[in-house]
Amino acid sequence: MISRRKFLILAGASAIATMLPLQISAKTLKSESMRRWAMVADVEKCTRCVKEFIERTGNEEVKPPCVVACDRENNVPDFEEKAIDPQWIRIAKFKNKYGDEFYAPLLCNHCENPPCAQVCLTQATFKRSDGIVEVDMHRCIGCRYCMIACPYGSRSYNFKDPREGLKEVNPKVPMRTQGVVEKCTFCVHRIDDAIAKGKEPEPACVEACRLYGKSSLIFGNVNDENSEISKVLRNNTVIQFRAELGTEPHVYYLPMRR
Amino acid sequence: MANKIEFRKIEGSSLQYFALVAIFAFFTALGIVAYILDHEFHLSGLSNRVPWGVVNAGIPYFIGLSAGSLIVSALAGVFKIERFKVFSRIAAFFAAAYIVAAIASIALDIGKLYHFGNAVIYFNPTSIFSWNAFFYSSYFVICALYLLAQFEEMERLTRFFACLAVFWAVLVHSGTGAIYSFMYSRELYHSALTPPMFIVCAITSGLGLLIATLYFTFKFTKRDLEIRLLRELSLIFAGLVAVLGYMLAVEALEKGYIPAVASATKFVYLTAEHGIFWSFWLLMIFGIIIPFLVVVIPKTGFDPRLLSAVGISHAAMVMAERFFLIVPGQVYPSEYLPGYEIESLHTLEGIIVSYTPTIFEWLQVIGLLSGVFLAFVVAAKLLPILPEKAVVMKE
Repeated sequence: MISRRKFLILAGASAIATMLPLQISAKTLKSESMRRWAMVADVEKCTRCVKEFIERTGNEEVKPPCVVACDRENNVPDFEEKAIDPQWIRIAKFKNKYGDEFYAPLLCNHCENPPCAQVCLTQATFKRSDGIVEVDMHRCIGCRYCMIACPYGSRSYNFKDPREGLKEVNPKVPMRTQGVVEKCTFCVHRIDDAIAKGKEPEPACVEACRLYGKSSLIFGNVNDENSEISKVLRNNTVIQFRAELGTEPHVYYLPMRR
Repeated sequence: MANKIEFRKIEGSSLQYFALVAIFAFFTALGIVAYILDHEFHLSGLSNRVPWGVVNAGIPYFIGLSAGSLIVSALAGVFKIERFKVFSRIAAFFAAAYIVAAIASIALDIGKLYHFGNAVIYFNPTSIFSWNAFFYSSYFVICALYLLAQFEEMERLTRFFACLAVFWAVLVHSGTGAIYSFMYSRELYHSALTPPMFIVCAITSGLGLLIATLYFTFKFTKRDLEIRLLRELSLIFAGLVAVLGYMLAVEALEKGYIPAVASATKFVYLTAEHGIFWSFWLLMIFGIIIPFLVVVIPKTGFDPRLLSAVGISHAAMVMAERFFLIVPGQVYPSEYLPGYEIESLHTLEGIIVSYTPTIFEWLQVIGLLSGVFLAFVVAAKLLPILPEKAVVMKE
């Protein structure tokens, strides 16, 4: 029979063994590549579009084309229960006490200093050199620390298997599982594909917005000063949500002009 | 000159003993079943707005009990308080058992148990939780070695490990507090007072439960326990409970002073329709005020039953403190654009959401606590952790 002393020594040794990191990955990279992806949402056009949809359908919770396209493109499931329904992009109504009201899309801000990547236990959430913040679902342990850290509520946890809430699956986007966190990727698969083919990338929401004739969403490379997005950011006063936190969000909002 | 303290295993052959083992084993098993059902069918009250609930609160709770227990145990070693030596093994054992419960709490809380190893394989130096994964496991090793040194009766080594263990307990606990308090994106989480408050709270909850455990264990095994020893532990307990109450009050007043978070503060401390209000005020009344008064009033302060009762009451209310720390920052909506309220069309953003822990979540926490006590009753039979008697020696 194993002695008490041996048992404790073995227990200690095995605990030490579990402490040893087998691999220490590189820290989050500073965006130094030739590309830095960002998005601008024209709040005036967004508001017009959403109001139009609500009026036409009579549904206060209607999903405009950008949201529908995102859900389809990225296999974002649709669950009845709002509390656990994952959303990569959603629309919110903003109103102040003087009666000013507008609609704007909310999505992952792909921050320059992403708090989610900062706190992630396993570096499952990481920032690519082009600024896109991604989640490696094979590393994610589902601790949800990133959801607590995210200032923009942009992350969803899969309380259920996402396949239960999907009618069709887009094979181009990896399917997530129950027990991991997911969020907007700026349609990273489209970006990589477009770059490989020498084309201009366009996320699904931006494409749907353009095809619907609204062109409220502008996506592009802010490191290229001739890009449309750079021009918009140069020539307008734009808003970033919770910029005071120093996260440097890369989703900008063009305010109402009226 | 100190007398030698006799540590002896319990016989553990009575019917009551096996009944106790069976009860603890039953609740532990129930916790495991609740975990499986919860993860299979999502039976918790968690949502995308409140992703951390009571099972997560179990992490700082058990770590608190562990650190508290250990600090008490190590008092004997660090400050050479001979009369506390009688408790040193039992407290060190609990420290090790609670830290295992804390790690188990993380395991129950995460979504992908079979990815758990990634937390050590892909260490993230900027993640406080990642550092804590290292602290927790190393802390367990230190507790185990400290206990081993005591079993082998190696005086100098025991003292060395006692010092190291206290230092590590403070580190572990500050780190755990920092997991929550460094969350700068949530105003109700962000407080520099949290890590020191965690340490105070750890000692008080650890002490509270230790006082009760000692009383019941000695009574159950019919061993002598002098009230003066319990009284001394209770006085340390009461003093620190008062410090905890002071810190909670300072934090509440500081938050209430900031106009930007005034409405959130009002919601947390003064809105009786929400559970959060109760978690704070029940903690204040049954966790701080009553335990403090019971110990300091001479009429009640020497009654071991009452001291045990307030010890348990405080330790239970510390769970409310953890709830109070973790939940309000999630249920209260964040302001994305100053001056604007938001109303999401597709999510629960912009409104105060409710979070009520389900029975399946509570059973997981109860299961872990039962597991610790199951380990204790089994260990009391297998290892010499209980002193033959605990009486004050004549000096």
